[in-house]
Amino acid sequence: MEEFLNANQMYIVLIIVLLIWGGIIFYLFRIERKIKVLERAFESKTQEPRTQKKG
Amino acid sequence: MKYVRYGAIALITFVILAGIAIPTVRTPQGLFEFPSIPGLGQKTRNIFFHVPVAWTTVVAFLVSMYYGFRYLRTRDMDFDVKSVSSAGLGFMFCFLATVTGSVWAKFNWGEFWNWDPRETSIFILLLIYAAYFALRSSLDNDELRARLSAVYSLVAGLTVPFFIFVMPRIMTGLHPGAAGDVEGMGPVLELKMSGNMLFVFFMGLIGFNLLYVWMLDLRVRAAKLDYSQLLKQSK
Repeated sequence: MEEFLNANQMYIVLIIVLLIWGGIIFYLFRIERKIKVLERAFESKTQEPRTQKKG
Repeated sequence: MKYVRYGAIALITFVILAGIAIPTVRTPQGLFEFPSIPGLGQKTRNIFFHVPVAWTTVVAFLVSMYYGFRYLRTRDMDFDVKSVSSAGLGFMFCFLATVTGSVWAKFNWGEFWNWDPRETSIFILLLIYAAYFALRSSLDNDELRARLSAVYSLVAGLTVPFFIFVMPRIMTGLHPGAAGDVEGMGPVLELKMSGNMLFVFFMGLIGFNLLYVWMLDLRVRAAKLDYSQLLKQSK
């Protein structure tokens, strides 16, 4: 594995780009979860989902 | 904010494309060839990703310090939210810089971790900001938590320039720019980059900073809702 990566260094760059991408995705999921909690709190307060209210 | 979003997407896409697709040759001619830097080879391209991430860390921590300061002046909870959001993002970028750096180190210096001054200093920074979050989660009172963490972010922010810009340069180490650098390379900017490499590199710096602004905005918006009185009452 190590020899392969040393011979094909482009893949090291690929690993690094993917790591950064993974970190950003992980962070986005955390924001997503936070918003989901807020949405549930909001819905439980208004008793009914917002979409129904509009219609 | 619209321009920030599109700017971040466009610039980072450009950097990934240009940074990976443009070939490195020994004697570059024209815009679409990078010079191969001795000892780095194809790994030169990591500069376009690893360094902007590390740089964004510094920006995020300094912004956190700035908002901490604003909070202390005004006692406005919004600034506390911004301060902690920025510190959280800074921590994430700091972690990414450490992990990508350590992968790079494995193939350039032989080990994942070498206790190079810059590795040591970023590790200490991670610990400092881990303590910041530990401090925040240990306090129940909103007011007290905001005040204490603002003071902490001021002190922590002051150490950032020292750990990132001063210490790695006055000590001998493996990173370019360390004192007594055998190859005589300066810090990253003085690294023997050609004009087109510098251009891609700066686009990366701006792109990652815009991405940071966008993510900070998302997080602050979510956190502000959380703080809002409406939801407080419903709990």
